[in-house]
Amino acid sequence: MTSHILKDAPGERLFLLGNEAIARGALEGGVQVAAAYPGTPSSEILMTLASVAKDAGIYVEWSTNEKVALEVALAASICGLRAMCSMKHVGLNVAHDPFITAGYIGAKGGFVVVSADDPWAWSSQNEQDNRWIAKQAYIPVLEPSDVQEAKDMTAAAFNLSEQFNHVFMLRSVTRIGHARGDVTLGPLPKERRKGVFKKDPSWLTYVPATARKNRPLMIQRFERIKKAVDDWPFNKLELVDGARLGIIASGLSYSYAIEAVKWLGLEGKVSMLKVGTTHPIPEELVKKLLTSVEEVLVIEELEPFVELHVKAIAGEEGIRVKIHGKDLVPVIGELSTRKAVEAVARLAGVPPPVDFGKLDKVSEEVAPTLPFRPPIMCPGCPHRASFYAIKVAAQRVAKSYGEGVEPIYPGDIGCYTLAIQPPLETVDTCICMGGSIGIANGLAHVVNAPIIPCLGDSTFFHAGIPPLINAVYNKAKITVVILDNMTTAMTGFQPHPGTGVTAMGDPTKRLLPEDVARGCGVEFVEVVDPYDVKKAIDVMTRALRFEGPSVVVMRRLCALEALREKRRRGEKIIPYKVDQEKCKKCDVCVKMFACPSIVKTGDTYTIDPITCIGCGVCAQICPYKAIVPAEG
Amino acid sequence: MSEVKELNIVLTGVGGQGTIAMSEVLGIAAVIDGFKVRGSEVLGMAQRGGAVITFLRLGKDVYGPMVPEGKADVMIALEPSEALRNLRFLTKNTIVVVGTRPIVPPSVSLGLSKYPNVDDVLKKLKELSDFVVPIDPYKLASEAGDAIAANMVMLGALAGTGKLPIKVESLKQAIKERFKGKIVEVNLKAFDLGYNYVKQALASIK
Repeated sequence: MTSHILKDAPGERLFLLGNEAIARGALEGGVQVAAAYPGTPSSEILMTLASVAKDAGIYVEWSTNEKVALEVALAASICGLRAMCSMKHVGLNVAHDPFITAGYIGAKGGFVVVSADDPWAWSSQNEQDNRWIAKQAYIPVLEPSDVQEAKDMTAAAFNLSEQFNHVFMLRSVTRIGHARGDVTLGPLPKERRKGVFKKDPSWLTYVPATARKNRPLMIQRFERIKKAVDDWPFNKLELVDGARLGIIASGLSYSYAIEAVKWLGLEGKVSMLKVGTTHPIPEELVKKLLTSVEEVLVIEELEPFVELHVKAIAGEEGIRVKIHGKDLVPVIGELSTRKAVEAVARLAGVPPPVDFGKLDKVSEEVAPTLPFRPPIMCPGCPHRASFYAIKVAAQRVAKSYGEGVEPIYPGDIGCYTLAIQPPLETVDTCICMGGSIGIANGLAHVVNAPIIPCLGDSTFFHAGIPPLINAVYNKAKITVVILDNMTTAMTGFQPHPGTGVTAMGDPTKRLLPEDVARGCGVEFVEVVDPYDVKKAIDVMTRALRFEGPSVVVMRRLCALEALREKRRRGEKIIPYKVDQEKCKKCDVCVKMFACPSIVKTGDTYTIDPITCIGCGVCAQICPYKAIVPAEG
Repeated sequence: MSEVKELNIVLTGVGGQGTIAMSEVLGIAAVIDGFKVRGSEVLGMAQRGGAVITFLRLGKDVYGPMVPEGKADVMIALEPSEALRNLRFLTKNTIVVVGTRPIVPPSVSLGLSKYPNVDDVLKKLKELSDFVVPIDPYKLASEAGDAIAANMVMLGALAGTGKLPIKVESLKQAIKERFKGKIVEVNLKAFDLGYNYVKQALASIK
């Protein structure tokens, strides 16, 4: 769909992914520089912009991490260009440092930071609510209620940012960025500015005097915004005469709230305030609602952010009205129409339209009969082969540490985190990007065991280098494995510094992790193809026996990418099969490896010819040579 | 077309089966026919052989991105146990188009869980809904030229029930917009095979 994104056809309707809509909104808002590091649920924003960057005459990059991305966009804004950086919620932790000071700087060219939060942690390590980080930074937050508004708000955010000379945050969530809907396009501006850097240390050079000078200015900008938000179209108050109940719903929650009200037949019976600017919230509209009803329900996802502000307003104004929020809308789990219905039904004293309890019961009854189907590594995934070799070598070497010593596998964030599943179970920790090596550093000084942090190529460039330097400097005896599949696979195959290609598709210098590791002072660095099982075990064994920090790069292109390339070249894919006469049913292929293409039915082992990509790793592992190519 | 107030479609399957592509085709077609459309999916973790569920909703009264529980008008399940996993969306009137070929996850080979009997799955679905259409999409997709087109067989099957307010031509146009190259023809053929299969199955009942 990305080719449609640049369509200069105001009024036309397109079916877009929320993240595509945000990208389109940025283009309509005149973005000229966009930077990001991939992370679900934000990645498609920059992917979409990158795919049209050259045609649109804008600059787009995948930065090595979110901190750099924010700095790249900030610099463009300082030079008068409209700029955006987008990241998943935890990415803002990485970018937290410049984010806070960006609040002091404000914006010259419109500057928008997109935070894609992930309630229920569908693909994340936590569920942090970044409205709090924005609050701490005096940065206003816009929260769209649907895909259309995601586009409209993004475009508007650039104008508002310039109008108020301040940074704006667009807060998306998984069910916005990965929602789909029909979107009516707006006009695309033609203006392209030239960047100008004007020296002004009292604005841009943050020594104490600069911070002291700019903090009051930041607060003034924020106060101006606070006075303006009541009139912005993203906030909408619908007062119903004589209504007893008022509902305040922010961002996406408004969609659930309005649907709940309709489903319960309460339309025209309750007053509603849609809040699109959750920070600062529209105080005058809130006051109007609070003074017109007897009871208020705040519907929002994750933390009680709006709720606390509404309660503060009520307290300050002395408005005596009962305010509900997280007492009725669960703080745990993703919000849904059902949860909104249940909360509203209780306050309105009407029965829910559906017996949800009965539906739960039906689900609970069948649950024990369902197969466990967590996400797993793909058929032919080189990571599975890598972990097999790592595990075999590590268990062998662990014996020399003493009886019963188990190797420790500090893990990281990427497809390879899926090795948490049986039978590999080689992810003992997973905390944050680059955390594998950091945690390994600490372990090395307190436990006596082989310590094997494993992380991907993109993650290594993102946050793996400082802790690797730390290991060399502080003499941590660890064996770092860089699982190099030559792409950022988990988030949708984005290029990174190790791929030799930029976001805009231009060739660039390819940085090899092994060169970086040597540059960091690591004295044992080897590269091996994990599809060569014997060699991979040998390299791992030697790395683990090395006195001092060691690095092994397991390099093999992501199986999905490899498959795609083979199909493009018209190459035939020859799957493997089990020779039933040779198979001794030893179970090694399942209990040690468990490629999803290997299926055990009763005590018969077969390989699914549709999903097998013919990597041949299982054939190397089979002790009886019973797995062979299914030629012809 | 604007007379449709709310039509809720739940699409489910296993990562890699093309569940999301199915909802994209439906969404593009619905926009062609002038509907307001809402939907959502969970990308990322769910892609890799995991359980996938996506939602596609159309009509003037839809707002949220997810189909509420107990409110599905249609369920397309590419895989039988994934239909079973999502019973909470069904009502007596939900049209359930269910693929009958199981995808057995490694957890079953490892002895960590069991795979249900497919006949039992169908029985349970028929207990909850009056309109269950079982179909082997892989058989028909292979006939069309590529097993990968199983998702388009399912879409054709749904259209064949005659209960979808989206025009068949619009669905076909959406297939042409969503895919590129050789697979377009295969997908269109797969769509027709699914469509005709269900038409005939329904005719033989009456």
